Amino acid sequence: MDVFFQTVIAGLETGSLYALAALGLVLIFRTSDVINFAQGEMAMFSSFIALRIWQNDMPYPVAFLGAIIFAIILGFLVERIFIRPASKASLVSKMIITLGLIMIIDGLAASIFGIDSYYMQKAITGDNINIGGVIIQPNALFIITITLVVMAILFYVIKNTIFGIAIRATAQDENTARMMGVPVSKVYSISWIIATVLGAIAGVLIAPTTNVSTTMMAEVHLKSFIAAVLGGFGSFIGPVVGGFIIGILDNLVGMYISLKWKTVIVYGLLILTLIVKPTGIFGKVHRKKV
Amino acid sequence: MEILKKKPFQYLVIGLLVAITPLIFDFKQATMTLLNTVVIYAIIALGYNILLGYAGQISLGHAAFMGLGAYVSAYITSMPIKIPFLLALLIAGVVPMIIGLLLGLVALRLEGHYLAIATLGFGVAVQQIFKEWISFTNGTAGINAKYPVIFNMKFRSRESFFVLTIAILVILSIFAYNLLKSKTGRALIAMRDSEHAAQAMGVSMFKYKLVAFAMSAFYAGIAGSLYMHLIRFTEPSQWGVALSLNLLAMVVIGGLASIEGSIVGAIFIMLIPEVIKGIPLFNKVSHMSTMFTGGAMILIIMFFPYGLARIKYIIKSKRSELKMQSNE
Repeated sequence: MDVFFQTVIAGLETGSLYALAALGLVLIFRTSDVINFAQGEMAMFSSFIALRIWQNDMPYPVAFLGAIIFAIILGFLVERIFIRPASKASLVSKMIITLGLIMIIDGLAASIFGIDSYYMQKAITGDNINIGGVIIQPNALFIITITLVVMAILFYVIKNTIFGIAIRATAQDENTARMMGVPVSKVYSISWIIATVLGAIAGVLIAPTTNVSTTMMAEVHLKSFIAAVLGGFGSFIGPVVGGFIIGILDNLVGMYISLKWKTVIVYGLLILTLIVKPTGIFGKVHRKKV
Repeated sequence: MEILKKKPFQYLVIGLLVAITPLIFDFKQATMTLLNTVVIYAIIALGYNILLGYAGQISLGHAAFMGLGAYVSAYITSMPIKIPFLLALLIAGVVPMIIGLLLGLVALRLEGHYLAIATLGFGVAVQQIFKEWISFTNGTAGINAKYPVIFNMKFRSRESFFVLTIAILVILSIFAYNLLKSKTGRALIAMRDSEHAAQAMGVSMFKYKLVAFAMSAFYAGIAGSLYMHLIRFTEPSQWGVALSLNLLAMVVIGGLASIEGSIVGAIFIMLIPEVIKGIPLFNKVSHMSTMFTGGAMILIIMFFPYGLARIKYIIKSKRSELKMQSNE
């Protein structure tokens, strides 16, 4: 039973990172109707910024903050330069633009930072906590807490503030929102910034496990897609639940079924979910009009 | 000369001319390898264009089909029973085609970004299978393959292999042309423009989505097999998301829904790294070609959504617009 709990806690740790990244994806999708395939690459770039600051003997919190500030700028620039000019383009075209972004950011990161992978310290180092045989790393607790706090703030903002109402209004109907005086383009900008920051937080927190390299986010990024699909792109709470489910399931499959085939099984599950319930657990059935 | 205007005839003539060029001029071995890979990628881009350009279905997992074709072909030709190369080539196309049918079934329930995510997951899962299924793929160590032999003719030299790949590209181009000019092609285009309207006109989504996925997977498998016997080595990391993205870039840059566009796109993408190597300022920066490809893809989709192959039509229509304005 100890092993089981251990696995579940490890699942919660990675799951919370998937949830953060997935929340960013859904935020962008809901407001500007784009699936940001470059989210993982953008997070990777921000993590490299954190690494560089940390390597130059700055304290860890400064590095973390540096990554977040960089992410704010990056999110703003990407939205302005690549997404806004194409706001009238078709769905597939927008998707292709973010896919092109993957190549640009990937190439840029590889040419600036190289293709090696670097060690990065954990956010909190300390003695492991032992609760009835279940060993918990303080860092895992920190990761879970920080994601819960970030999400609580975000949900509070979306639910209760005037800006949150603007986001929800834009998500529902862009034109009507604009007519009602919602600054739609500002909403786009800010949701891209928030999403990029969420990705960057996930990136810096996962860095001790994966090391910082150009491919560090591949796994988190894909899993966050699965989380978003599983929970449904239609709601904000869906991807969070989806992220935790994927995190726990991933670890349980690795523990009890097969470590080697874990990835294949989890992706199989993704495709299965899509076939059975394409709108996700929390999604509503959406009928397309001709 | 009515026949000169027929596209299949043009393909045949151009193919012949291109195929004999290396026999006349003396190219370096590396150049020949590059030319061969260009043709091979043109084949898979052609298949992918049927899916994305004509049927409007996106897939981010097509590298998996090419990899599958490569592995199947290598496995079959290394079996103790002698299987002729052409048969192995066909099987290397048919096996991915069957898997493609399954993916088509998935696509029946999904559209747009959900399909993109599902196929992305499919691609990653298949790449993982390549890594783990040691008895079939030899894992990360990779496998080798033999030179192709057709009717006791061994395609050892790059020049002779080039004739083979060009011949296959011409056959597949003519096949694609005829298919897309037929009822199937019209059904695919109708499906792309509006699924609901197409269905209302009696176009079977079930049939044509499967046809589109099966066709493109078949082309990918053939390309994979040819690649395998050209390079004669493969390992799983080649068949990842990066290749699928490159494939997308080929089709978008070359021109969606255009047979010539697929080929132009393949040439463009494969030659970028070579061209950049020659530019003094750029060759200092590593990974310049990846950045350039991504940037080119974005620029093309934003400003020339019909791709390089149709730029002349855009210029023509601009010119006639200007003429109209000056006449007024």
